[in-house]
Amino acid sequence: MNSAPQKLSLCGWDARYDELRRLGLREPAYGGTLRRHLEGGRDFQLEHLQFDNSPAALRLWNFLLTENSRLHQARARGEKIVGAMKDLGTVPVLACALPGLRAFYPDGTWWTPCLMAGHDQLLPPARATGIDASFCPVRALLPAFLNGEQFPRPDLLLCSTGAICDDLSAIAQRLEHLGHPILWWEMPRRRPPYPGEKPCRLPGNLIAPQLQVDCVRIELRRIAAALGQLAGRTLNDEILTAGIQAANQVRRLLTALRNKVYTAPAAPLPALEMLLAEMLAIHFCSDHEETIALLGELLTVAQTRSQRSQFVIPASAIRVFWVNPVADLRAMNLLEELGGRICGSDFMFTHTLDLIPEDLPPLEALARTALADPMAGSTTERAQRIARDCRANGAEGVIISRISGASHCAREGGIIREEVQRTIGLPVIELEIPPEADAMLPALRTQLKELFKIARLRRT
Amino acid sequence: MDVLLTSPWIPAEWVRAHGLAAHGIWFAKSFEEEAQPLDTGVCAFAESTVRLARHHSGAAVVFTTACDQLRRGFDDLARQRSSALLFNLPATRSPAARQLYRAELERLGQFLRECGGLTPTPEMLQNELEQTDTARRRLRAAAENCPARRYAAAVAEFHGWGSEYRTGQLALPLPTPDPTPLTRPPFSNRIPLALIGSPLGEADWNLFDQVETAGGRVVLNATKTGEFSLCPTFEGWPTDPDSMLDTLVAGYFDHLVDVFQRPNEPLYNWLRPRLQSRHVRGIILWTFAGCDLWRAEMQTLRETFDLPVLLLEASAAAAVIPRDLTRLQAFLASLT
Repeated sequence: MNSAPQKLSLCGWDARYDELRRLGLREPAYGGTLRRHLEGGRDFQLEHLQFDNSPAALRLWNFLLTENSRLHQARARGEKIVGAMKDLGTVPVLACALPGLRAFYPDGTWWTPCLMAGHDQLLPPARATGIDASFCPVRALLPAFLNGEQFPRPDLLLCSTGAICDDLSAIAQRLEHLGHPILWWEMPRRRPPYPGEKPCRLPGNLIAPQLQVDCVRIELRRIAAALGQLAGRTLNDEILTAGIQAANQVRRLLTALRNKVYTAPAAPLPALEMLLAEMLAIHFCSDHEETIALLGELLTVAQTRSQRSQFVIPASAIRVFWVNPVADLRAMNLLEELGGRICGSDFMFTHTLDLIPEDLPPLEALARTALADPMAGSTTERAQRIARDCRANGAEGVIISRISGASHCAREGGIIREEVQRTIGLPVIELEIPPEADAMLPALRTQLKELFKIARLRRT
Repeated sequence: MDVLLTSPWIPAEWVRAHGLAAHGIWFAKSFEEEAQPLDTGVCAFAESTVRLARHHSGAAVVFTTACDQLRRGFDDLARQRSSALLFNLPATRSPAARQLYRAELERLGQFLRECGGLTPTPEMLQNELEQTDTARRRLRAAAENCPARRYAAAVAEFHGWGSEYRTGQLALPLPTPDPTPLTRPPFSNRIPLALIGSPLGEADWNLFDQVETAGGRVVLNATKTGEFSLCPTFEGWPTDPDSMLDTLVAGYFDHLVDVFQRPNEPLYNWLRPRLQSRHVRGIILWTFAGCDLWRAEMQTLRETFDLPVLLLEASAAAAVIPRDLTRLQAFLASLT
């Protein structure tokens, strides 16, 4: 069933799928051809993407693209649905610890307009709710809530607030005004301890005053109580400890996968599939056990290919560190088409990649991890981690992708660029990638080529 | 030392109790002069704040975490200067958030002392609280009957940009160098409007005149630099000198009204009775380019109060541009 790694178009996957079936491919319940997502009147962008040809990649795509239907099935089985917003990796650890709860991120709808190439008609109706194109594409969640055609309406909706981006905060507030009650919880803006304040070490080599950790821990206790009420069972330390261990199982696998792919001499898996794999850590794509199995399979593919020196991207490719997720997934393909590869990433949730401490009381451990959110701290601190990771993984250039309309993008790019250039002297470019980047593709192409040209010159 | 505050929710009383002069940055004479062409997505207010803070190197500046743009503007500024503090202003009203606010006040005190401030005695703080509360009460009482421009000037004075504050005469928050009486002239034929939204600096006060020229009048200034910046109150709290910090926390945190709060229901609860009692017939939503928080409220304001809403965006030039003037006239014409 293993064949030489290559990228396939959707048509290429039709033939590959038939071949795999003939060879005895066994799939989970959500399996099937990739094309069916297109034929179901959805996910039109699939026609324009290039995919890895491994069965693991097929499973990954199917897993991602069936999340909403799996959530509907869970609801039909009587499970409770928890909508978590913004914290990217914290609430799902609490929710998934309780049987009968499934957590997902409505914010994830921001990719729908890209995947459906605008056929979803989510962004135009967002305007009718008062949220126009000056806001980040996450505004797609508003019509999705109103029309109920994407994900099931959550039984409990939570949103972290405080040190979060204004777009999501404003959009979530609009959602609440439209009749969807939200349980808000405070996320302080992380800062270094002031003289005399008790310091507390956080995952990610960060430090914050203990009083900020205390604030988050108290807030998480409030969230835990609400989740326990929904599940009809108290979320005690024992249950949460098991939940943290389960989350760490995912994080360990993902760390191993990232290390294998990003530090290999050439890339055994493409950037696009790695982006999706990283996203799994946030909320396990609503199925924790399947996430573990899937990441394990991806890791095996990466290991096997590396052992056989079979790579999907050659060693000559320019090693790029990518900052922020892309609204149009084609950007990941384009990067590789033009001679680049990903060797590291900060898709705004590096705190979800770090292990949650297991030697602390569980809520304290989770609070420390939540506070390590790169978006809750200073941009300079974020840039410092980026620089460290660039150095560790041998990056030759950094790409900061701006998200159209996102409040944090207005300034962070400049700060990250200056910090990276000052500390490690790498070339950095900023790109703006809207959900449907067709009009921008020629400019993106030029900018990427220019970066690669500079990086190649630096090799000599 | 001058301490420039970027939010009315940082207690100026606390700064003055440390022996330093507090000024709301939005009324600084040079605030709008700092406006420059903006990078994509940059909030004009945040940008002007950062530029002004850079140029006033002799002053301490206190930013808040109330919005992403100011928070990241601080990140930018903090790389170049140390006499700046980012005050964590909680968005929620939970007990943990209240505790956080108190801790931030204590940290602000430490910062002020590092900037040359004195350690305030309970009596000094009590004195500041009493004087400021008296001033706020007088301003709140005058809100309904004071002409809009005159009222904006009085609030600016209160926020620390008048000569009386410079000379320390804090008990006189409503100086009257302007002969305009504090009672409203008989404008009964003009359409009553509310002005809601982002800070309105002095350079933008001609908006009041333009509204009047177009046949309206602002009867509720609910911009961040208007009436709702006067919400903090110490009424009903202990005056015991030993509990002054608790009183300060309660007076501010428990009465905070702003768009960034989550949920921001207190803002709507504050607006509702005032819009009704002043017979407001339309709302002007005043925002800075790039301010998501206010801009996102436009539809909710319209739906909640069943009033027409006109969005006016402060430009870099800090004046109502001709196109907006035409829109303002059309808006008022639609209300007649």
